[in-house]
Formats: sequence, C-alpha cells, structure tokens
Amino acid sequence: MAVLEVRDLRARYSARGPEILKGISFDVEGDDFFAIIGPSGAGKSTLIRCINRLVNPTSGSIVFNGHDVTKMSNHDLRLVRRDIGMIFQEFNLIDRMSVMDNVLAGRLGYTGNLRTLFRMFPRKDIDHALHLLDRVGLSDHVDKRADELSGGQRQRVGIARALMQDPKLMLLDEPTSALDPKISREIMALIKEMAQELNVPCLCNIHDVKLAMEFCNKMIGLQDGVTMFAGPTEQMNEAKLDEIYAMEVL
Amino acid sequence: MDNATGYRVMDMRTDDILARRTRRQRKTAVIVAALFGLVVWSVDVTVIQDTDWQRIGSLGEVMAAAGQFAGIDFSLFPSLIGPTIETLLIACLGTALGAVLCVPATWFGAMNITPFAPITYPIARLMMTLSRSVHEIVWALFFVAVFGLGAMAGVFAIAMRSIGFIAKLSAEAIEDIDPGPVEAMRATGANTFQVMLYAIMPQVLPQVIGTVIFEWEINIRRSAVLGLVGAGGLGLVFFRQMNTFNFHGVTSVIIAILAIIFLGEAISHAIRRRTI
Repeated sequence: MAVLEVRDLRARYSARGPEILKGISFDVEGDDFFAIIGPSGAGKSTLIRCINRLVNPTSGSIVFNGHDVTKMSNHDLRLVRRDIGMIFQEFNLIDRMSVMDNVLAGRLGYTGNLRTLFRMFPRKDIDHALHLLDRVGLSDHVDKRADELSGGQRQRVGIARALMQDPKLMLLDEPTSALDPKISREIMALIKEMAQELNVPCLCNIHDVKLAMEFCNKMIGLQDGVTMFAGPTEQMNEAKLDEIYAMEVL
Repeated sequence: MDNATGYRVMDMRTDDILARRTRRQRKTAVIVAALFGLVVWSVDVTVIQDTDWQRIGSLGEVMAAAGQFAGIDFSLFPSLIGPTIETLLIACLGTALGAVLCVPATWFGAMNITPFAPITYPIARLMMTLSRSVHEIVWALFFVAVFGLGAMAGVFAIAMRSIGFIAKLSAEAIEDIDPGPVEAMRATGANTFQVMLYAIMPQVLPQVIGTVIFEWEINIRRSAVLGLVGAGGLGLVFFRQMNTFNFHGVTSVIIAILAIIFLGEAISHAIRRRTI
C-alpha cells in the first residue's frame, strides 16, 4: 500500500486568484525517492506544502497512511505533522539557538509547553540528537549557534532536525538550491543514505534535473500546475524534459 | 553505535549535555526567583511602607474618592476649545521645530556621512541622549524659566524632546542605505549636498516621514500635560480644575485629551498607510 496517495489535488491562494495546482495525482510508496521537477512557478512548492497543509488545498484528497489529511481537525493534523519531516530550501533554522536546540526542536510535537519553555528534553531525545549529529557529521558543532555554520552544515542540521521526528515520510523543498554543486550532491547523497537506512520515503521538490535523475527513482514533471510526466526516472528523456521546461523564460 | 565502547562514549556526552542543561535551567530559576524577590521588595517599599494607609481609610471611602470623578462638567466644554486647539498647535509646531533641529544631529549621527567622525559623531550622540534622557516636563520647566509662562515654552520643550528619537531613527536609516546610488552620484561629479539630496534622501524619506508622524502622535500626549507646569494647553485647565476640586471638570478635560489623542492616532494611521 502506498504511504501517500494524492488524488486530483487542486489549489489556489485566493478565491479569485489563478489555480496553482490543476488536478495532480500520484502515489509515493514505502521505498521511493520521489522527485517533483518543473520550472519556477510550476507549483512545486505549493504541492509539497499541501501534503502537510502548510498550504490548504481547495479540493482533492491527500491520503497519508490511510488518513485523509485534507479533512482533518487541527489537532489530528498536528499528530500527522509529527510523522512528516520537512527540509527547507533556506534551512529555516532558529539562528539564535544552538545546533543541539535546533535538532531537539524536531521533538516539539512530543513536548509539552512547560518543558518547551525551559527546554527540558528527556535523556533519550538528547541521545538521539547526538547520534543523528554524529551521522550527519556535526559532532564537533553541537554547542555552536546555528548562524555560525556554513550553508552545507546548516542543511545538515535541517536534516537532523527532520529525522529527529522519526518521520514516516520526508518532504524536501528544494533542499540544495541554496548550496553550491559539490555540497548539493553531498547533501542529496546524505539524505538518500539516511532515508534508506531508516526506511523513510522521500518526496522532493528539485529544480536541478541532473540531481533528480541521479538520486530519484520516480518523478513527476509539473508545468503551470499540470502534470506533464509521471513515471519511473528511466522513462524520462531529453524530449520530455524540453517539453516540461519549454515555458521557462531565461 | 553498535559496539560497547561507542555507546559508552555517547552516554558520557549525553550526561555532560544533560548536566549543562540542568545547570542552565537552575540558573534561569535563580534569576526568576531573584526578579520575583525584587518585585516583592519594591512593592514593600513603594506600596506598603510609602502609602498613608490611615488617610486612605476603608474600601468604601476609596470608592467614594474615586467616585468623585464620575460625572462630566458640560459647562466647561466651551472654554476647552481654545486650550484644545492650543495643545494641538504645540504638538504640531514642536514636532516641526524638532524635525528641523534634528537635521544636524542626524547628519552628524550617521556614521557613513558624518563629516569628521571622531568629533561630530560623539556630538550627535550626546545631543540625542540629552534630548531623550531629560523628561518633557523638565524641558518645559526649563523653557518656562527662560521664556516665561505660555505656549512658546511648550513648543520648545516638545521640540527638544523630539530631537533624540527622530534623529536616532533617521541616522540609523541613513546607515542602512544601499551605497550603490551614492557611488553613482559621486561618479557624476556631484558635491556632497547633491549626493545627499539625490542618493540619500529618496532612500530614507519614507522612513523619516513615518518616524516624524509617530513622534507627532506621541507629542499630542505630551503637550496635553505640559500645562501642569505652565507651558500652555489643556494641562493648565486640568491643573486649575484639580486645584478648585472640580472633579467633574477634571473628567471633562480628560475627555478632551482623549478626543485629540484619538484624532491624532487616526490622522497618523491614515498618513502612514498612504506613505509607507
């Protein structure tokens, strides 16, 4: 059974505004590294934000582990969000907090308000955070402030924070766009390695087609909110890419 | 972390982090407790010891004393029109004068355009600090002593008090400008004044206007009380009503003050929304 089933998803930001997503459907299965490609403005970010309802879709269904996310109460939505890790283009770390506190923030969904106020996280969370920081190669930076790190290191903190949730699905919103090509490849490799090890499927917005072809096993190509391609990466070719990116004005 | 040693190392680091976090939480607790103690001590000194509990009397008497103000002296309103307008004018003129006086302070106080930083920058900072650290009532007392009773003392007090805030925020706005246009204007052969007029003014004007209007709004409040020390406006009437124990008249004056403050806020909101 698919972890995530998206059916006929439509979204617009205001009642009279343009439709950003015009009926998108796809399935993400347990071991997928699933890419969403397409030119800027195609609706990639909107699509990925609909999955955990940072953006509310106007119609369609998003079934995550058997529950329709689009029809959930705020309380249930928060429970679902705990199971979905997210990694952002601009990392979205809390700059003034330490690396450790940023990673521990991944546990906020499990932490009460009073504990949050005093940043009292249980021993097993700190253990877990240290373990993840070792894995992403930041064991020497645990006490540093997040804004002291380089771009690549900051995204590694973002990865650790997302994995701290013990997610059942990872959403990656252009995880490498703010990084240089070499670091981008390292970050993608790290995410893929961790995802395979922890058995977490990934849904990844990605602008860079070469990286998508290299790391992802399935993809959909969006153009102006419409699916232009859907299938395994092997079926993607130059002609189809040209079609998807035809509208991009450079 | 599947070998035994690896796990032990991990555990020690966790202990270390937990210990440090606990220490920090304790420190926070100590600080909070100390602050709480300070509040209790302050309440004791100011409220418990410094209040004449004998004179306050029973709760009923307190309510009765406060109740004296419940009521409006409508007969006073016609004679409030003049002072109300005067209060508004003190605020307007004071703000305008302050905005003019703060030009040199702003110029000297922005690190990137100050003419000779080691001397002019400290002068500007001193002006700003002096302006803001002296209360408007104290400025008014000073100008009443200089100019005598009346609205002129109020205008100058407001102006002096306004310099610091407007100059500080304007200078900071100038420090944050995009240096590109400055470079471009210099490259055309423009002189310093022309560079300021063309490259700096347009960039900071919206923010400066916003600041001046915000200050004007605050100055309405300030000018409403300046009369207490003889510097004109509604405060003087307020003082007179209080002295003659006409408590309903006091309420009337407060209503007039509220009215012009509302007016000021409405105007300020409308202008700021249009310009920024």
